[in-house]
Amino acid sequence: MTPFRVALLLVTLCGVAAWQVTVIPESLMQMTVGPVLAPGVIVGVLSVFALLYGISAWRGRQADESLAPDQSPLPGANARVLSLLGGGAAFIALVIPLGFVIPGTLCGMGVARAFDAPLSPKSALMCGAIASTFWFVFAQLLGVGLGPALPWWF
Amino acid sequence: MEAFDALMGGFAIALQPTTLMWGFVGCFVGTLVGVLPGIGPALTIALLLPLTYHVPATSMFVMFAGIYYGAAYGGSTTSILLNTPGESAAVVTALEGNKMARRGRAGQALATAAIGSFVAGTIGTLALTFVAPWVVEAALAFGPAEYFSLMVLSVVAVSAVLGNSMLRGLVALGLGLLLGMVGVDLQTGQPRFTFGRPELLDGIEVTVAAVGLFAVGEALYLAWQGRESKTGEVMKLSGSLWMSKQDWARSWKPWFRGAFFGFPIGAMPAGGAELPTLLSYYTEKKLSKHPEEFGHGAIEGVAGPEAANNAAAAGVLMPLLTLGIPTSATAAIMLSAFEGYGIQTGPQLFSQQGSLVWTLIASLYIGNVILLVLNLPLVSLWVKLLKIPPPWLYAGIIVISTAGVYGAGNSVFNVGLLFVFGLLGYIMRRFDFPAAPLIVGLILAPLGEQSMRQALTISQGEWSTFFTRPLSGSLMAVAAMLLIVPPLWKRYNAKR
Repeated sequence: MTPFRVALLLVTLCGVAAWQVTVIPESLMQMTVGPVLAPGVIVGVLSVFALLYGISAWRGRQADESLAPDQSPLPGANARVLSLLGGGAAFIALVIPLGFVIPGTLCGMGVARAFDAPLSPKSALMCGAIASTFWFVFAQLLGVGLGPALPWWF
Repeated sequence: MEAFDALMGGFAIALQPTTLMWGFVGCFVGTLVGVLPGIGPALTIALLLPLTYHVPATSMFVMFAGIYYGAAYGGSTTSILLNTPGESAAVVTALEGNKMARRGRAGQALATAAIGSFVAGTIGTLALTFVAPWVVEAALAFGPAEYFSLMVLSVVAVSAVLGNSMLRGLVALGLGLLLGMVGVDLQTGQPRFTFGRPELLDGIEVTVAAVGLFAVGEALYLAWQGRESKTGEVMKLSGSLWMSKQDWARSWKPWFRGAFFGFPIGAMPAGGAELPTLLSYYTEKKLSKHPEEFGHGAIEGVAGPEAANNAAAAGVLMPLLTLGIPTSATAAIMLSAFEGYGIQTGPQLFSQQGSLVWTLIASLYIGNVILLVLNLPLVSLWVKLLKIPPPWLYAGIIVISTAGVYGAGNSVFNVGLLFVFGLLGYIMRRFDFPAAPLIVGLILAPLGEQSMRQALTISQGEWSTFFTRPLSGSLMAVAAMLLIVPPLWKRYNAKR
């Protein structure tokens, strides 16, 4: 990823947003300003900024922290990021069938792995304790609807 | 006098045991998030938004105010003992505070920071108490055109002034405004940017965006770097917490000067706490009788910036409570909490929800006292927290973030969106885009569109209404100047 690729992403996003503006249904109500004007103006202005950013990035004037001397990533950066995102994906896939605690534990283990903790029983115990505590505080004490702690058959 | 009576009414409610308990919880949690890196008050308040359905509004806002003030207090501890500011406004404190700690004067550095925070926080709250009713009176003359112009000024200021690049700030703002347009248009019922997904009809939840950008984005960035496991050295809490006579003599003037920098700048759109802390630091350096100590642990360099930081926290609440305009990410999330309770912010807040506002202001005075009592005696506890290993710290942050977002509506789609915002936050962090304009834009976009439509309906479609009405025109002119003058000035300086 480079600033120029970020600019390309921004321009693509603007293209998709512009297409979405064209499919906003016109209102049948008689009004001074309809539902299309504000989104249209915002997409237009964002497109201009995205282009300016792209030109500036192409000239090598935009920042990338990874190039700063003490900010560059250590080896294994992608694996760490994927581990964290994998934890999130596990939570999303499992929270409905398995309740909160098991997916919360797996999510925590993915995050811990991203910060160099090994996938071990200790990590499972720590993350299980974290997920159980948050479930207890949020769902039991504060009444926030997190669903069951464990699957019904457990 | 009217303000004084209303404030006394606020104290009567704020001193009730339940309200006091929420204030104490807020101060404790706030100090905790100020101390811990990676968690800020905006994220914490966003995570607690799901609770708004279960706790009365007064208690909730008293807790939020405690979190906000507590974070401003707590940031100094990590700055002084670890040379790692827990939040951005405490960066300046680290310059002299950590040097003092290295010279065996950590106790005095923490003491002058805590007492200065108390003094300036109280001055800031006093200013809020007596200036806010004036602002409300003036704001009652605002029509939709003035509101729209004020929002334009706020978003332009937040984008142009914050961060290192105006262009990147404006891109972030544009993204925020675009995301704010997602959902059903409330006036016509037409869906916009929903891609046919029913989950997007209600728009993008502020909680999801804020938590994704601040918590998941930060965690992804730090995981990508892989340097977080190598934590810095925590200085030992050496020396007495009592300040000597000389320390008092060198601290009291910086406390007051810091407060006078902090409050007005904090109250301005995009004023924030970073600018007053820097101004305070350089002023103290200039005025000090011991300029040679700066850079080696000068107590004035801790006292002034810490005072400015806390006075700015009170200043930021002024436009939020009086005009309904958020000037920071935390204020933007507090605004969305008001919306969660169905409370209309702006000048009418003082008349329609007077009891809530004055209880909130009274709780700020009480919060300052709680924080003074909490901060110094518990400093060894805060130091212990700094030793939590990063894997468990960030596992806790992400699990609580996921729980907060999932708990708000039992929506797996929103959890997915949380991680999408996390990726966006990572990209923004890596390529130095500020996150605050995105959050402010997300929240202000629907409000701004509503004001614009109302103004154009009143003016029968005349766009000139935004420029010909004196107040609205002035606000637009200031916004245009903020966009035009800084780049021109930069170019002029470069040529010289």
